[in-house]
Amino acid sequence: MVTIELFGVPRLRAGRDAFCVDAASLGQAFRALGEACPSLAPSVVDGDRLQPHYLVAVNGTQFTADPSTPLRDGDVVVLVSAEAGG
Amino acid sequence: MIRGGYFGRFLRVDTGSGRATVVPIAPAVLESVIGGVGLGTYLLARETPAGFDPYGPEAAVVFAFGPLVGTPLTTSAKFAVVTKSPLTDRLTDSLSSSAFALSGKRTGFDALVLVGRAERPSVVLIDGDRVEIAECSDLWDTDLGVSDATAALAKRFPRYELATIGVAGERLVRYAGLANGGRHAGRGGIGAVLGSKRIKAIGVRGSERVPLADAARTVALSRDLARRSLGPATEKYRELGTVANLATFNRLAALPTRNFQQATFEGAAAISGEVLKVTREKGRGSCAACTIGCEHFYEVERGAAPVKAEYENLFALGPLCGISDPDVVLAASRACDELGLDTISAGGTIAFAMECSERGLLDRGPWGDQAKGLRFGDGARLLTLLDDIAHRRGALGDLLAEGSRRAARAIGPPAPDFAPHVKGLEIPGYEPRALQSMALGFAVGSRGADHNRSGAYEVDFSGKVDRFAGSPEGARLAVETEDRAALLDALILCKFLRGALRDPSAEAAEMLRAVTGIEFSADDTRAAAARIVLLKKLFNVREGWTAAEDTLPARFFDDALPDGVSRGAVLSRDGLDAMIAAYYAARGWRADGSVPGTLVAAAGLESVASRRTGDTTSA
Repeated sequence: MVTIELFGVPRLRAGRDAFCVDAASLGQAFRALGEACPSLAPSVVDGDRLQPHYLVAVNGTQFTADPSTPLRDGDVVVLVSAEAGG
Repeated sequence: MIRGGYFGRFLRVDTGSGRATVVPIAPAVLESVIGGVGLGTYLLARETPAGFDPYGPEAAVVFAFGPLVGTPLTTSAKFAVVTKSPLTDRLTDSLSSSAFALSGKRTGFDALVLVGRAERPSVVLIDGDRVEIAECSDLWDTDLGVSDATAALAKRFPRYELATIGVAGERLVRYAGLANGGRHAGRGGIGAVLGSKRIKAIGVRGSERVPLADAARTVALSRDLARRSLGPATEKYRELGTVANLATFNRLAALPTRNFQQATFEGAAAISGEVLKVTREKGRGSCAACTIGCEHFYEVERGAAPVKAEYENLFALGPLCGISDPDVVLAASRACDELGLDTISAGGTIAFAMECSERGLLDRGPWGDQAKGLRFGDGARLLTLLDDIAHRRGALGDLLAEGSRRAARAIGPPAPDFAPHVKGLEIPGYEPRALQSMALGFAVGSRGADHNRSGAYEVDFSGKVDRFAGSPEGARLAVETEDRAALLDALILCKFLRGALRDPSAEAAEMLRAVTGIEFSADDTRAAAARIVLLKKLFNVREGWTAAEDTLPARFFDDALPDGVSRGAVLSRDGLDAMIAAYYAARGWRADGSVPGTLVAAAGLESVASRRTGDTTSA
């Protein structure tokens, strides 16, 4: 299982801060998230893609939106806005 | 030929004599630096002698408008305030917005330049080209907050849009800001420079209409931009505002905590944007002529006016000081606004003092009694200290009113190693060890540690670089974010639009063509952006910049982050040096950071690099 943590607008839309999904890649995780939480599709995830104004940090470290990024059991996908301006 | 957007002149006001002089601005100057921060920096350099005292009568404060102010382009109701910072002794340029920008432009000038020093506390009133220096001694050195003082002035001087300093500006707190309509030109001590001129407020009004070269095209571009401003690129700002950063940065271990000793805060959830929205949000607002509406207001006391909060307020007055009580953090934010303090520098300086106190560094010295027992997490002391600083009350209030750099020098070693500033400006809420492209942006920033003039954090967030290991490639990408910021700050348009702009250089050129009639190309606006960055650099060089300033405090090289996903992250001196070298090279500067004369000449800035002043500005 992979945990997807939500921050910002996606958290508000979903009404919760995390989902657990079965996924071996980011693309699979995005698709599973959209199916588990239709309120995030297509504004945040669209099929196996992430919308351009969002990014994820796998285990909180490096940012990517590449759906081919492999995931392992226990990984945490941190989904954030790509707009970091403050 | 210029057919719109500009008036081609500025107004110089001597606040001592009341004399006002209308000075033409050559079209070539406007084309080369566009407006806003670009024009403001140009005029500051031209209107002041090298090495001037920011508190001296020779100091100039430039209020500069952009060519887009007064047009229907969304977010264009902005103005820049440019002067020499008493905190950094380098350039400071702050932006604010709304009705003051619109009324200021309607005076019929592209910029207003205040010099001199009033004999008594006064308000500068500019009505078209008529100027009055009106005494307001009864509003100086009072208990009135900025809101009440502004209300009193508004009653006395109706139909003027006012920008006002608080008690912090009157007392020359080096990070005092300037407020207008609930908005702030906050950073760098602009309020203190006005305080040194005994100017409590500036009021503007006028009846000039901003001409448009191609009104139909301007309206069409405005409609298109407004539509895009309501899209997904600005959703975060509309739905949550910048406060959305707090929980995200905490999870990414990029949230400066307890004076940059940690990068996560155990109390972050209580003051996160997500929680505040559900528990306290009372409404949204926007600047004049803005379709985004990023302002979010929160309840502090039932029945009292709600408080507007931004990420930087929350971070600096919350985690940075170890405080998680939203009542305290929001009250502190409101206190800063009413006292006229920059929230980032206030929070940063107090957090620094808290660490000094915990380490016993304040036990000796004249501030010992006042500092006794000061600890991270003490909300009551935070609120007391803000008031003490603004009034320079007691030895500690007076010390901290100087900012963290000067306070650290007074306290002595090892305090300078962890005073949280670059060039004297306190570091905003982006942990440099966890966002190492941003570390570069802070180090080389003309204003000091600055998240609004360098958007290098975007490079860290892009996935194109390792955010824990800065790289020359990151430095080159950081240059792009700095140029884009310079362009937006010259137009002026809000940076929150950046994600909605397909190609900022090309779109800026298109807007400028429609508004001004000048045949700007994307290459022209790109060149102007680089020229503006160079202009700022040249001003700083003139005022004594050395390469040794382009760095960060020792803490960021010596102390690895202890927590969260950034555990172990630390800056390498060699790594930062390599980034700085790549940055200088990308800018065309020499390896020691100096600027070749050929570059200055190619940018047409030879006169700015000199000490000349004159009554006609030309390129």
